[in-house]
Amino acid sequence: MIPEGKPTVEQTVRATLADILGLSVERAASFTATTPLFGALPELDSMAVASVLTELEDRLAIVIEDDEVDGDMLETFGALVAFAARKALV
Amino acid sequence: MTGGMHIDHYDWTGADGVGGREAMLRFSTGTPRVVLALPLFEEFNRTRAFGVTLLRALARRGIGGLLPDWPGTNESPVPSSDATLAMIQAAYQSVLVSCTPLFALGIRSGALFDARASVRGRWHLSPVSGTELARELARQTSDDGTISGNLVSSAFRAELGAASLGSARVVRFDSDPRDADLKLAGSPLWRRAEPGNDPALAEVLAADITHWVATCDG
Repeated sequence: MIPEGKPTVEQTVRATLADILGLSVERAASFTATTPLFGALPELDSMAVASVLTELEDRLAIVIEDDEVDGDMLETFGALVAFAARKALV
Repeated sequence: MTGGMHIDHYDWTGADGVGGREAMLRFSTGTPRVVLALPLFEEFNRTRAFGVTLLRALARRGIGGLLPDWPGTNESPVPSSDATLAMIQAAYQSVLVSCTPLFALGIRSGALFDARASVRGRWHLSPVSGTELARELARQTSDDGTISGNLVSSAFRAELGAASLGSARVVRFDSDPRDADLKLAGSPLWRRAEPGNDPALAEVLAADITHWVATCDG
């Protein structure tokens, strides 16, 4: 249950990617569940991945263990949102 | 108008008698009121231009500032592999003694440097605790053991992991759920894949710092 007035997990993931990768609002807004991320976005290198995960931890008050980080969770925008939602909503 | 910036130096001495000389940018010719500590490692590169912009904005408001290099950072003659938090904190105190700025400004891990400093007040933007920093550094460490090209000793890592923050006025972004004295709109420059700047944010923060300094002086 997300309290009213707080951004959803999807909004938070979208805003985090935009802030860290320097994406325009329009580009970030165009992401759908099937938009490919890692390997498809040139801005998303391994250093940026570390920044995205750490920023998601901060914004969602979650902890992501290193052994949970794999290619699948970063494959698409939908996969990353689903991963973050599982962590945030438990 | 005293909005100029020039390069100065300061000498520091650590507890064990070891010390050195570091460069320091000085903003405005008046008596400095604030000293700014930027974060360590990769985040330093991403916040340096912003730090300069912030200190210029403060100078325009009549608040002179200092931006020192710390031992092992930026142009320091101390190799990053020899740096320790104790050295940086000793250097911080030396800046205060030689220049008597009264207020500490810290961004991210830079907020850990002023914990032992005798200042009239501390102002921290998105401060990171030692525990949080240790996690981030573990994630950023390459296979060769460096952090964005910096060779970092295990002693320094241990010190940072155990470091605590001094009591401060804390400013965070709306997107950060942690407690703060002031929340504002903005995005974390220190996590941006490409180094950037945010002059509008610098103006907002400079106004907050100016008001805070005046309140403390009051």
